[in-house]
Amino acid sequence: MARMKFLCDSERCIECNGCVTACKNANETEWGIQRRRVVTLDDGEVGKEVSISVACMHCSDAPCMAVCPTDCFYPTEDGLILHNKDACIGCGYCLYACPFGAPQFPKQGAFGARGKMDKCTFCAGGPESDPVLEEQKYGANRLREGKLPLCAEMCSTKALLAGDAQQVADIFRERVVYRGHRNSAWGSVEHEAAESEQLAQQAADLAYDATQSV
Amino acid sequence: MERYWSVRDAKTWLMLLLVVLMALPATVLAQSADARREAFQAMPGTTPEFWRDAVEGVSGRTQSNSPGADTLIMVEGERWREIRNQWISPGGAIALGGSLLAITLFYLLVGQVKLENPRTGKKIERWTRWDRTIHWYVAVLFIILGVTGLSILYAKWFLMPILPTSVWAAWMTAAKNIHNYLGPLFAIGVLAMILKWLKHNFFNMTDLKWFLKGGGIVGKAHPSAGYLNGGEKVWYWVIVTVGLTVVVSGLVLDFPNFGQSRETMQLFLIIHAVASLILMAAAFGHIYIGTLGTEGAFEGMKTGYVDESWAKQHHDLWYDAVKKKTGS
Amino acid sequence: MRLNKKVSDTSLDMNQNRLGVSRRGFLKGTTLAAGGIAATGLLGKGMIRPVEAATPKSSAPVEVKRTICTHCSVGCGVYAHVQNGVWTYQEAAFDNPINRGAHCAKGAALRYHGHSTRRLKYPMKLEGGKWKRLSWEQAINEVGDKIEQIRAESGPDSVFWLGSAKFNNEQAYLFRKMVSLWGTNNVEHQARICHSTTVAGVANTWGYGAMTNSYNDMQNSKSMLFIGSNAAEAHPVSLQHVMIAKERNNCKIVVADPRFTRTAAKATQYVRIRPGSDVAYVWGLLWHIFANGWEDKQYLAQRVYGMDEIREEVLQFPPDVVENITGVDEQTMYQTAKLLSDHRPGCVVWCMGGTQHTTGNNNTRAYCILELALGNIGKSGGGANIFRGHDNVQGATDFGVLSDSLPGYYGLAEGSWRHWAGVWGVDYEWIQNRFDQTEYRGGKPMHTNGITVSRWIDGVLEDKEKMAQNDNIRAMFYWGHAVNSQTRGPEMREAMKKLDMMVIVDPYPTVAAVMNDRTDGVYLLPACTQFETYGSVTASNRSIQWRSKVIDPHFESKPDHEIMYLLSKKVGIADQVFKNIQVNGDEPLIEDIVREYNRGMWTIGYTGQSPERLKYHQENWHAFDFTSLRAVGTDAHGDFYGLPWPCWGTPEMGHPGTHVLYDTSLPVKDGGLGFRANFGVERNGETLLAEGSAPVGNEIGDGHPEFTANMLKQLGWWDDLTEAEKAAADGKDWKTDLSGGIQRVAIKHGCAPFGNGKARTIVWTFPDAIPKHREPLYTTRRDLVESYPTWDDFESLYRMPTLYKSIQERDTSAEFPIILTSGRLVEYEGGGDETRSNPWLAELQQHMFVEINPFNANTLRIADGDDVWVYGPEGGRVRVKALVTNRVGRDVAFMPFHFGGEFQGEDLRSRYPEGSDPYVLGEAVNTVTTYGYDPVTIMQETKCTVCRIEKAA
Repeated sequence: MARMKFLCDSERCIECNGCVTACKNANETEWGIQRRRVVTLDDGEVGKEVSISVACMHCSDAPCMAVCPTDCFYPTEDGLILHNKDACIGCGYCLYACPFGAPQFPKQGAFGARGKMDKCTFCAGGPESDPVLEEQKYGANRLREGKLPLCAEMCSTKALLAGDAQQVADIFRERVVYRGHRNSAWGSVEHEAAESEQLAQQAADLAYDATQSV
Repeated sequence: MERYWSVRDAKTWLMLLLVVLMALPATVLAQSADARREAFQAMPGTTPEFWRDAVEGVSGRTQSNSPGADTLIMVEGERWREIRNQWISPGGAIALGGSLLAITLFYLLVGQVKLENPRTGKKIERWTRWDRTIHWYVAVLFIILGVTGLSILYAKWFLMPILPTSVWAAWMTAAKNIHNYLGPLFAIGVLAMILKWLKHNFFNMTDLKWFLKGGGIVGKAHPSAGYLNGGEKVWYWVIVTVGLTVVVSGLVLDFPNFGQSRETMQLFLIIHAVASLILMAAAFGHIYIGTLGTEGAFEGMKTGYVDESWAKQHHDLWYDAVKKKTGS
Repeated sequence: MRLNKKVSDTSLDMNQNRLGVSRRGFLKGTTLAAGGIAATGLLGKGMIRPVEAATPKSSAPVEVKRTICTHCSVGCGVYAHVQNGVWTYQEAAFDNPINRGAHCAKGAALRYHGHSTRRLKYPMKLEGGKWKRLSWEQAINEVGDKIEQIRAESGPDSVFWLGSAKFNNEQAYLFRKMVSLWGTNNVEHQARICHSTTVAGVANTWGYGAMTNSYNDMQNSKSMLFIGSNAAEAHPVSLQHVMIAKERNNCKIVVADPRFTRTAAKATQYVRIRPGSDVAYVWGLLWHIFANGWEDKQYLAQRVYGMDEIREEVLQFPPDVVENITGVDEQTMYQTAKLLSDHRPGCVVWCMGGTQHTTGNNNTRAYCILELALGNIGKSGGGANIFRGHDNVQGATDFGVLSDSLPGYYGLAEGSWRHWAGVWGVDYEWIQNRFDQTEYRGGKPMHTNGITVSRWIDGVLEDKEKMAQNDNIRAMFYWGHAVNSQTRGPEMREAMKKLDMMVIVDPYPTVAAVMNDRTDGVYLLPACTQFETYGSVTASNRSIQWRSKVIDPHFESKPDHEIMYLLSKKVGIADQVFKNIQVNGDEPLIEDIVREYNRGMWTIGYTGQSPERLKYHQENWHAFDFTSLRAVGTDAHGDFYGLPWPCWGTPEMGHPGTHVLYDTSLPVKDGGLGFRANFGVERNGETLLAEGSAPVGNEIGDGHPEFTANMLKQLGWWDDLTEAEKAAADGKDWKTDLSGGIQRVAIKHGCAPFGNGKARTIVWTFPDAIPKHREPLYTTRRDLVESYPTWDDFESLYRMPTLYKSIQERDTSAEFPIILTSGRLVEYEGGGDETRSNPWLAELQQHMFVEINPFNANTLRIADGDDVWVYGPEGGRVRVKALVTNRVGRDVAFMPFHFGGEFQGEDLRSRYPEGSDPYVLGEAVNTVTTYGYDPVTIMQETKCTVCRIEKAA
């Protein structure tokens, strides 16, 4: 079975928040719970502003799953990371471990009362056999109906892609070819990742050195 | 009867912890978290500048109001996971297991410290009703918090596989709620305890000698001790330092409604876990000494009174003082 | 808190498929099959998994309704899934040719409107400071009696009918007709304060005042100039087409804006210009274009009149002068000019940033002249792509919900009235008698422009002796209007207080219901949304899309056309208004209204779009190409999607609509056109008709005037008419021949009915025949006022004295050193009453704010997130949050205009009828905006006033 992934094309994302409300529309999460959000770095800086829509990345090696005290997360055959709200105790650990801020909690109350964790399910529902209950608890199960997450389906500029990792990558690669970037194949995109990574590492090293000199 | 129960209990725990110890490294090593790889696959085509900002956790703007939502990649999450899963979790197991192992070995090798002289039947009041109330209040809460806390850290490795999901979920929900609601009560007890017993716990020359003689547990020497011996004072100060750390970090975690950032919570979770595990490992020793390890010690905290010969043996200076005071 | 009702009380049927067809099959045949980046489909066929089971929210059957988003002029298609009358799901309409399933935040949150409880639930009136529930009958009676009384005392012009771009076409047409038969031209809607300067400026340049190409056609552009448009927030789905052009054609995108917008973030080049300096900026570009000979000389010779005069004017704007006025240096200007010249065809896009100025008409004409010089108009990939605002502001404009025209831009002359009287089947004399017959300055009210929406405030407050009508405005209908989108808030409150009666007809209470400071005489009549009725809507690209009714009207709300019927009946004009229109119960039949306007809208070709054709297009979204908008296959084969006007002649003629205006590469019968010959045939001895250019297949082969019966006779084409057509056409022209015969015959011979003229760069009827740079009324650049002063005051424009020089004379620059401009946020629309009542959207923007440059913020000791006071030079002030950002320059502050419900620090939440207050309230930017109106169309100035910012205590 396909491995499902999201891909956000930052060249196209215009921070319209359509994905955010589409998610609300599909999953009817309550006020304060946004399974998806758009983050803009260098907001308002000429030539630098970039927006990216993020939600759960359904990581191959999911940190949330690794730290969950109740092991409420489980991977699906599509490579999605879903969770069982019945087992969730609202400890918040997944939020502390998740690099992408995906887990959402309805509240931040005294005595650590957070309610059940809620996060993007890739519109694949959750572990509940009764569809009505499933929809109330986890939101839509569009995947089962052969549909993809509504956020990606409704993306205003088709910046947010969802689906099989390979096919999503293919669509992106095709765009890159058109844009005339020096790297066009996914493989070399990975190479570019390594390059970027290296640059980032260099910067991190510099920063580290700076702290050492104090 | 009592002794038999304790030994069996300790052995069970030891076994379980060994199992945990065996199981942990395998799972920990299997993890090779790579948020960057995930992120890069999900947001390719970004410029190196952007990428650098993203992986460094530079915050931007977002319309989401969730805590930390303005950061694209929270790099600390990775580190936290690593510290918790690869260091604290196995480290705690080793500490607790090690502590139990040491105690067991000690017990097997040395055995219980017996009363040297037969009981006189005369009782001396050692712990007032207040002392005992505070002690048992804290002790009971400590055990409950310990069990629930350890459940949160370890139970998924051994309890979850054997429980039906509904029971497992109910237990864990209960564990978390019990831990969170009793925590503040424990904090009150610890504070009361620290204040109540502060006056007995200043170190003096007697304690130094006591330490030099290894507390008299090993060998046949009988170092002098006052109302509290050096070891008890050390335990007191462990509670003051480590215990208060547990309490304060616990309160920070227990009341996330003051807008603590994810980073703050991560830090305090680590502090709380480390301090609690240290405290627990130490408490095993305290419990051993106060029960199985020392004949006649437990009844002091149980009834408030100790036998004359016990007092003479373990707290001779105090015994003398009490004698002098009562004039008998 | 689950904010939505769900149908969960019924049992489930696991095997039911909500779509009716399998999703797999559904997708296979549509957009994804096209593949590639043009399609930018989300999933390949292999990824679609077989439908295993469906999860309907109930076992009730699912009806799939096709409708159109009600939030902006892009016109995104929507699939609404309805069960038991409840809108349970919203699906992406991948086959809609305009949006391909895409939505912005608003479109993706549409379904909530079908559930909203924060609506007006039943008619109410304000009595003794309290909202009191009324029956519809009582409400209509009281309102009707009051306006009859005012009519008797002050004349029909003392009732002002403020309509809406939220009407569908049929309601818009009906509204104009109803008000016309009430006897006044005091009827308006948002287009006045939206694109009126575009409509006037562009129509006076080449014929029609609408977007020349389409969103889809922008995929063919090689360059784009966005000036005064933040499409990424205002028209997000249009960016889908822009991005495709960027990827496929390597299209260069230039964004000229005082603010580094989200659109600018996607641009090849961003140019920061000073607010209000558009004309100078365009002249600066043309200076380089002319200096380097980059203009399209052949095009200019054949199709443009008066470019030489422009050339002379442009010489007054060498690089240093331009830099001084706009703040853009020579190199940047050169680069931009070269970029636009090197990459043709290119288009220009503008919105409120260009139009909402005292010099709005000069701006819009300058943009047109730039495109003419580059030869971009009338070409696929080129054009003046004027993005309209509201979903149906194009339609409402076309149907004349404006004080200066009858439907179809016919104007207000006697001939126009007689034309429409003929279509309506109503006596011209009867209509005449409904009007005030007194002569005022400029003529009789029936033939003079009414008061504009931008100035109804003055219509209430002005000394009536100075007005060109009998009395002040005494009653106001706010029929789908957000008053917080109008300038001069504090004066508006005064005006509201002075009125005899306010009637708010809207799904939401709107800011008008709470800011008025009245205790009596305010009526709230609940209208339903466009999801609760049906009809047609015109997107910005002139495509007319049909909406189906999704759900029944909520609570006691009624569709607007039903309320119009009730009111017409009450005031005794229903027989005339609905003479040709069937009324079922109280609801006029939408299809009959379409058929009626089909018989009268000859000027702009709203005649070929019968309800049947429009519905057929709606049912066959999939058949239309994503780039060319042309249908392939089906009975609509060859039609452009939505029959974009002009769709000439009768429906039977089967004209496909006109996708790209003035495109001579196509025959007229297939959507080709030359420029409209609307300005005469010659001026100062120079021809105004095209020379050596005509649409393909034009039998005249050159320029020609517009068609009349006599012209047909001269050409020897008269006998091509049928006998019936001859009878109807004799003595008429292409605009007034109700048979459509003149149009049919002209097109048969390859000629556009409106002639084949030249575009003109000089509009000799305007205050500025050649667009001039003029400093804003409130300017921080006092040094430029002497060289570029505004106009002298006008004694009467649209019935009102209008001030220019006397405002500009006052130097406010010391006290108010920062320019204040305003604009859109993607999450909200217009005045925001509807969108701020939608929690999915409201959650995303919870605070009104002002964007301040870090330089100013630091100097004023303001930190990001602080509360600040923003003061305007006419006494208004607002308390808002500071957003410190480099998005704005040091000389500019920006505020969004969607907020309301707070007024100068006062929270008005308690004044809303219970349970109908929006989730988010905030200060309206227009509480601090100021006086200033374009002299041609009375557009308000919202983009360039001045302010002072202080940290709030």
